[in-house]
Amino acid sequence: MMRHTVCQVNDVLAGGLLYKTAGRTNIILLRLPSGEIKAIASRCPHHGANLAHGCITGYAAGTGPHDVHLERQGEILRCPWHGFEFDIVTRRAVVESSALSLREFKVVIEGDDVVVEA
Amino acid sequence: MLLLDADVHENIAGMRDLIPYLPSPYRDWIANGAWRGFSQPFAYTSPGAGNRADVRNPDGSASVSDYPLMKRQLLDPYNETYAVLTGYFYPTILKMQYAFGSALAHAYNEYVYEHWLSKDERFLGSIQINARDPEAAAREIDLMAERPQMKQVMLPVVDDIAYGHPMYRPIFAAAARNNLVVALHHTIMATGPYGMGLHYIERHTLLPTSMMAQTISLILNGVFDEFQSLRFIILEGGFSWIPHLMWRMDREYRQGRVEVPWIKKLPSQHIRERLRFSTQPSEDITPSDWIKLIDLMGSDELLVFSTDYPHFDFDDPDAAIPKHLPAALREKILWSNGASLYGLQPPKGAAAQTTLVTAK
Repeated sequence: MMRHTVCQVNDVLAGGLLYKTAGRTNIILLRLPSGEIKAIASRCPHHGANLAHGCITGYAAGTGPHDVHLERQGEILRCPWHGFEFDIVTRRAVVESSALSLREFKVVIEGDDVVVEA
Repeated sequence: MLLLDADVHENIAGMRDLIPYLPSPYRDWIANGAWRGFSQPFAYTSPGAGNRADVRNPDGSASVSDYPLMKRQLLDPYNETYAVLTGYFYPTILKMQYAFGSALAHAYNEYVYEHWLSKDERFLGSIQINARDPEAAAREIDLMAERPQMKQVMLPVVDDIAYGHPMYRPIFAAAARNNLVVALHHTIMATGPYGMGLHYIERHTLLPTSMMAQTISLILNGVFDEFQSLRFIILEGGFSWIPHLMWRMDREYRQGRVEVPWIKKLPSQHIRERLRFSTQPSEDITPSDWIKLIDLMGSDELLVFSTDYPHFDFDDPDAAIPKHLPAALREKILWSNGASLYGLQPPKGAAAQTTLVTAK
């Protein structure tokens, strides 16, 4: 496990996806509404799309036909290819699936630096 | 062995049979020949037309409206424990005159109750409705549900409606509050995605696609989620397509759930928990393929035996459900899965039987 300074804290914007390399690992950095910065592998566990081209959104909820609203805004990542949803907080696919979860790396904030262990 | 036959078609001899049960002005319409009933927009091609050619009275006359004949040809020789009457007179086919359609549905229910259900405790009934008038249909369901032999609501599959549309919710609400199963059966108007084709063989081959469309509509429009106690059965719509539809719907759900967030479960889970399929026409697959299919479905509780008597593509229980299948699986298809769906117990004295008595 190596430590990599990948960017500055201010580079990671809420709602954005920042593509970086940590050693030989391609990652994306994102910031939750709480301010916490997350680092996850950029490769989608489904078909391998680069998640940096995806989008940050909320959890689509609804109680009946034609009722669609977003909850937990900023905590869901959707893959740029098939639109699969991933919960950034839990790393798990929103729709139950046996093998799909995001690979997360430890993030340490050192001053203005974002350090990722990968 | 106990035997539940999930798709048995009783009928009227003619429209005049309904006159005693129709209010004015509709009884006068029928009496005056103002409407002569439904007629399919194609010709049947089997020796007995739409029916088995041997469904005949001793005098040679064909009869699909004769309880004693059905008793002699089906109920007694196959020793059926229960036979679910499903009709083939579906007023929803009428695309106009909704009150007339609803009156026809009520008259038909009364006719079936008097001339069929009351004559044999082995019969279970389907409540016929005019689905184009959902509120009237709900009232008919509430009325007929008071009769214990009525076990399900029949939704006929025609060419312009899919039952997931919110306008049909009163029908499902009525079925749910009366603890009834919801059944879907094709009609003379059911089509595939490009119509019926140019030949009867096309039309008949396409029928499962109409049931696939209805399944998609019901699940993805939230009927399964809104009415969580409801259970459903697709009759005469095939079953070898189930694995494909489950896989396809699950995949679509994973990538498109954001559009239909009211769907709370994987579609395949909804299907396994609450949708059943009658086996006829059973497609003559090998025992090995039966096992493979059921393995792919992920459940041995989805299939419910049916004969489709008196129609020409009748399934004989001994021939259609291979005897080489594991005995426990065969028992589930022939009895337990259907009994569970309809909340049935074996009648007193019926449980001791272990073999089918067949008619040849």
